[in-house]
Amino acid sequence: MAASEEDVLRTEIRWSFVVFAATALILISILYAGLVHGINPPSNIETVDPKTLHLSGEFTEGNLGTRVEADGGVTVRVVTTQFAFVPQCVVVPTDRKVTLRFASPDVIHGVLVAGTNVNTMVIPGYVSQVHTTFKTTGDLLTPCHEFCGLGHSQMWAIVRAVAPADFKPDAQGRAACDGR
Amino acid sequence: MASSRSSSEESRFTVLAASAVGGILAGGILLGFLILPVVQGRQAGIDPWTAICRSLGIAPGTPAAGSPISTAAARPVSRVSWDEGTLRALAGAAGPSPPEAVAQCAACHGDAGIATDPTFPNLAGQSAAAIFKQLHDYRSGARVNEQMSPVAQGLDEADLAALALHFAARSKGTMDATARADRNHPVAELVLRGDPARGIPACNSCHAPGSGGPIETPILTRQNEAYLADQLRRYARGDRGNDIYGRMRGFSAKLTEDEIRRLAAFYAWTE
Repeated sequence: MAASEEDVLRTEIRWSFVVFAATALILISILYAGLVHGINPPSNIETVDPKTLHLSGEFTEGNLGTRVEADGGVTVRVVTTQFAFVPQCVVVPTDRKVTLRFASPDVIHGVLVAGTNVNTMVIPGYVSQVHTTFKTTGDLLTPCHEFCGLGHSQMWAIVRAVAPADFKPDAQGRAACDGR
Repeated sequence: MASSRSSSEESRFTVLAASAVGGILAGGILLGFLILPVVQGRQAGIDPWTAICRSLGIAPGTPAAGSPISTAAARPVSRVSWDEGTLRALAGAAGPSPPEAVAQCAACHGDAGIATDPTFPNLAGQSAAAIFKQLHDYRSGARVNEQMSPVAQGLDEADLAALALHFAARSKGTMDATARADRNHPVAELVLRGDPARGIPACNSCHAPGSGGPIETPILTRQNEAYLADQLRRYARGDRGNDIYGRMRGFSAKLTEDEIRRLAAFYAWTE
């Protein structure tokens, strides 16, 4: 039993409303996240050579983690790699501007710090930089949210937000979760 | 049927479609270049005019944070860079290996790449990139062993690549099926699925052939049990530190001694 052209047209129009509604819903959630939670993509473009990331410069193993810079700003440097965040735990103070800088030596990863506006992709060849102010203390779960390979589901880190009084960087300005 | 549609109906559709497209475009411009930048700019302490200019791409974004260079003493991690030259050297067929070097390797690792002593690693069928990386690390001092370091230091990079390709091309041979590790043993869970609660990825997500992990990760199946367990303990203690970004140091430190022994046995007896 063939449907008449009018029937087909009516079905198509009905479905087009569903499509519009779904698109509108997605757009509204993006707008809500952007306007209320301040989520936006990194606004700077900064390149770095992924092949030599571990050899010299900012993202060598010894330079990762939280550090209070000479100007008093707090910077956190994390390398996302298959299949771990390095370091796996970073400590940050609340109520203070924190700059997070991520880089990847291998494939595309993602970073999401639960309950904050930190949410970015980490693309090999670029530094992903996010500014934020942590408002609550506690261990914030930080999963990789961009499929990066077979170990993706076991790749997560902890961002430990502590009260300013408990944030105790050492003489070099470095702070780590295990108190080193 | 179609011809019976009036032309006024068609022009009505054209107007409707054009205004829909125009409306979406105008809405997008309004949201993307005006509302979002101004509101987000206010949260970030940027005035509306600068925010609009930045969203249009005519004013620069946040300046990069100057990349302060580490003054910390570098840990002896690997000096290998997987650049085009290295990858090309390892992609080709095995070039002529220096025969005296092959003989030197064979003294411990066997002519066919099967080690003469179970505390030495087998090289047969290993990935060429993995062998190259370890030789390179012995050469640079990132990994230290009293036998291996002087051997590697006497060779140049082309020799290392040739040797890596030579042993990678050897066959592992067949394994006695009755000796095969039990895949239902609880330790197989760590190998195949990892432990999300402890943040330990499945071993096989990097160490199975063709798994898509970092290029330098070695294949562990049929590796000597004593060698594997010893290396995991070295990583856990931090005695061995040539794993880039401490991946293996981190994971090994989370394993119990019992898990280390069982993992080594599992891989040794798995094809």
